[in-house]
Amino acid sequence: MRVPKSERILAYVILITMASLVLAPVLAGSITAFKPQIIWVSSPPTWIFEPTLENFEFVFFTRKGWLYLRNSLIISIGSVALALILGVPAAYAFARFRFRGSKALMQWLISLRMIPPIVVGLPFYAMFLNLERTFNIGLRDTYPGLIITYQTFLLPLVIWMMRGYFADLPAAMEESAMVEGYTRLGALLRVVLPVVWPGIVATAILNFIFAWNEFFLALILAGNRTSTLPMTAGTYIVRTRVEWGNLFAVNLIIMAPVIVLTIILRQQLVKGLTFGILE
Amino acid sequence: MNESDASDNANQSVSTRFYHLTQRHRHWFFIAPALLILLAVVIYPILFSTGVSLFRVTFASQSRPFVGLQNFERMLSNDDFLQSAFNTLYYVVFSVSGSFALGFAAALLFRRVTAGKELLRLILIIPITMAPIVVGLMWNWMLDPLFGLVNWFLGLIGIPGQTMLAQASTARITVVLVDIWQWYPLVFLILEAGMATLPRAPYESARLEGVPSWLIFRRITLPMLRPVILVALLLRTVDAFRTFDIVRVMTDGGPHLTTETLSLYLYRTAFTFSKLSRAAAGSILMLLVIGLISAIMFRYLYREVELG
Amino acid sequence: MKVVLKDLLKRFTNSDRAAVNTINLVIEAGELAVLLGPSGCGKTTTLRMIAGLEEPDSGRITINKRDITDLAPKDRRVAMVFQNFSMYPTMNVYDNIAFPLHAIKLGRKEIDETVREVARLVNIDHLLQRSVRQVSGGEAQRVALARSMVRRPEVFLMDEPLSNLDAKLRVQLRTEIKRLHQETSATFIFVTHDQEEAMTLGDKIIVMKDGDIQQAGTPHRVFFAPENAFVANFVGTPSMNLLPGAVQKTASGAYRLQLPGFDLALPARFNDGLNNLRGDQVIWGIRPEAIRLAAETGENCVSGVVELVEALGSRDLIFARVEDQLFRVIVDALDSTAVGAPCHLRFDGAQMHLFDADSERSLLAEQTTAGTG
Repeated sequence: MRVPKSERILAYVILITMASLVLAPVLAGSITAFKPQIIWVSSPPTWIFEPTLENFEFVFFTRKGWLYLRNSLIISIGSVALALILGVPAAYAFARFRFRGSKALMQWLISLRMIPPIVVGLPFYAMFLNLERTFNIGLRDTYPGLIITYQTFLLPLVIWMMRGYFADLPAAMEESAMVEGYTRLGALLRVVLPVVWPGIVATAILNFIFAWNEFFLALILAGNRTSTLPMTAGTYIVRTRVEWGNLFAVNLIIMAPVIVLTIILRQQLVKGLTFGILE
Repeated sequence: MNESDASDNANQSVSTRFYHLTQRHRHWFFIAPALLILLAVVIYPILFSTGVSLFRVTFASQSRPFVGLQNFERMLSNDDFLQSAFNTLYYVVFSVSGSFALGFAAALLFRRVTAGKELLRLILIIPITMAPIVVGLMWNWMLDPLFGLVNWFLGLIGIPGQTMLAQASTARITVVLVDIWQWYPLVFLILEAGMATLPRAPYESARLEGVPSWLIFRRITLPMLRPVILVALLLRTVDAFRTFDIVRVMTDGGPHLTTETLSLYLYRTAFTFSKLSRAAAGSILMLLVIGLISAIMFRYLYREVELG
Repeated sequence: MKVVLKDLLKRFTNSDRAAVNTINLVIEAGELAVLLGPSGCGKTTTLRMIAGLEEPDSGRITINKRDITDLAPKDRRVAMVFQNFSMYPTMNVYDNIAFPLHAIKLGRKEIDETVREVARLVNIDHLLQRSVRQVSGGEAQRVALARSMVRRPEVFLMDEPLSNLDAKLRVQLRTEIKRLHQETSATFIFVTHDQEEAMTLGDKIIVMKDGDIQQAGTPHRVFFAPENAFVANFVGTPSMNLLPGAVQKTASGAYRLQLPGFDLALPARFNDGLNNLRGDQVIWGIRPEAIRLAAETGENCVSGVVELVEALGSRDLIFARVEDQLFRVIVDALDSTAVGAPCHLRFDGAQMHLFDADSERSLLAEQTTAGTG
């Protein structure tokens, strides 16, 4: 598109302002994670200082941050793995087979995106409590409990994203293999899976981000044993004072992997964020 | 010989029938596991909640008398519930319109620049990928009345320090602004991707015919973007409707419930005040409202695009 | 291997409409049969049912007397080449061709020999180590052909394998498929919507429309003796001139045909059919090649004006207006005429076609009794 020069300069000015307003708080906050305690709250802010890792050390070892990191990793990776195992085959069926009610089922799956977490979080708590009391099955404050609960938002997203990736491939690909001597499952494993692999990785990454950032369900259903990183971030706010340096150290531990993953994923991001509704 | 033939045939007809059955219902082999889990983690909890809302259930007591719609009546006549419902509506209206306006503007401007697009896009993506709770905590620090960057900056241009999150008059709009900060990039990203897929031919022919650019925008860009716009609005609306994380860490509903959202209020009702049934009734009401809103928006969307 | 379709029925998903409407068809061993028809006529569905990729709602399919209706695709000993898929993108040419052989237990050496032999047969033995990105569309389709041949199937199924290629390649590969058919002497079933492709390839052409077989026969039969108006119109380019008209029996027992603006004497071979006709409404047809430009008017000749001339190379296609009717006429380029010139069209009585206006069936006696399918 040809654009007048003045218009282009104006566009640059506004966009760069927007980008700065996005970047500034993130950078300024992240820097605090490397500040020694005495200048956490200096005013005006101190910009020049000797960076230190003592906040990270404190958060990680004194406050057992490594434990929460481990919990977050186990829960995120576990729930994404389960969502993929259940969701990829379903996505394949939705992409390939026309059957009575397939369309309605797909629409129902999108509608799950609209459900407020409180609507499922609340009964989950009560249901877990009931299970404990009546059957002595403990799911509260356990990894399986959270991993299953997270399927409410992960599984529909996996199905929708993967359906898009499968639909992009010609059905003739696996049909050809089926005529050539393989079962449908064999064709899937040998022919379709190798091609659709990048899509599975993209889906896994995006779902990992959502599970990793999840706060509400963890707040209700996790306890001392399974606290995740986002849950612990709030513990650095004490009524009397806030340990800003430590808090930003935690924030950075939460943010950093996600930002790296986002850069890897950026081409596929929109598809995932919009649930693949638009294609 | 004859016997073995006969049994062969019988076997074949059983296996044949089985083959036909599996062929006709093969999709269920793929879908059933996912569907069963979703029934267990979505439908069952909702039914459970509905059930609980008809009784008086608390975490403390074992007796559970049936109370009919009493919990719903109590909720709907509760001032705090109505206040949080009003606040939620406020969030939806201002956060959605604010993030949409900014995001749309950014997407339109983005078409007018050339160099550095990739970098700009990457920077704008950052807030979307941050945990809302991290965003809230970060802005707590930014807005701190004593040493926060915002007040420091305001001080530089001669405005005295403000305690925006502690004042009833400013807390709500401040939280909304932070929400907009986090989510306008999502609108930008969706609309930008939508614009990138628009066909070039209508623009080229309109330009050749000398159509002014505002008319091109109104008659070509907007109509072609309609489904994309609807998706962006839909996602923003449902997310604003269930706002919890940001408010929880920034104001925790205060001061004087001016920032309390429905999610927060129901969470508190259930887990702080142990009124499980009432919270369940409230969450069912919430589900009905968001169901209605998204059903209306989906109806418009389905008119635009063929799904599935 | 003889392929027999018996009462084959397939309904569309979630609908009572039939995609393939209880068809019966026999394809002889070693024959190259072409399923021809417009899109949505059921030709591809028929092929996919033979392959086992679609399940018929009822009816049987046998190959060489072996009932394969209930077998999985892999057990049917058929091969298939597709329109929009040629190569597995994660494998190179060699591995693509070897892929079907890995499904059966076969030694490495045996696999290697077979792959090389088949690759030589379709002239891609120099491409074996290439990846998908390094081969052209035509070469990729040759790989698909090689892959289909490698297990020595009894029946080859081809679902418009050439329609994604450009015109020149299409002609080239068409010839090659014909050659492969002769060398392997296997049964080929080829689906296309391109009637020229059908004509040049087929030993037998099966014309389909709306799930029904309209006519099955040699290319010659289908072209010169169409059994109904649809086949007459669909086969041949430029297509046949078809006009509605009314017949009248004269005192001598012969029939005359009343068309808008003129009338014609009908040859006696239609008499049997016309005697059995209910009412007098017919559709009259004549191919553009069966009309001559005459020097002067006479019997079975009408006058008109040339409206448009299209050059086809050695011949010209003339659009001549007679009253309200535009006739397509093929003439030798040397005998052509100018736009706006008056002309006389002479219709060759031996090449006229006549169809019942209601049923659209041909009124030639031996054909009406032959029926469809």
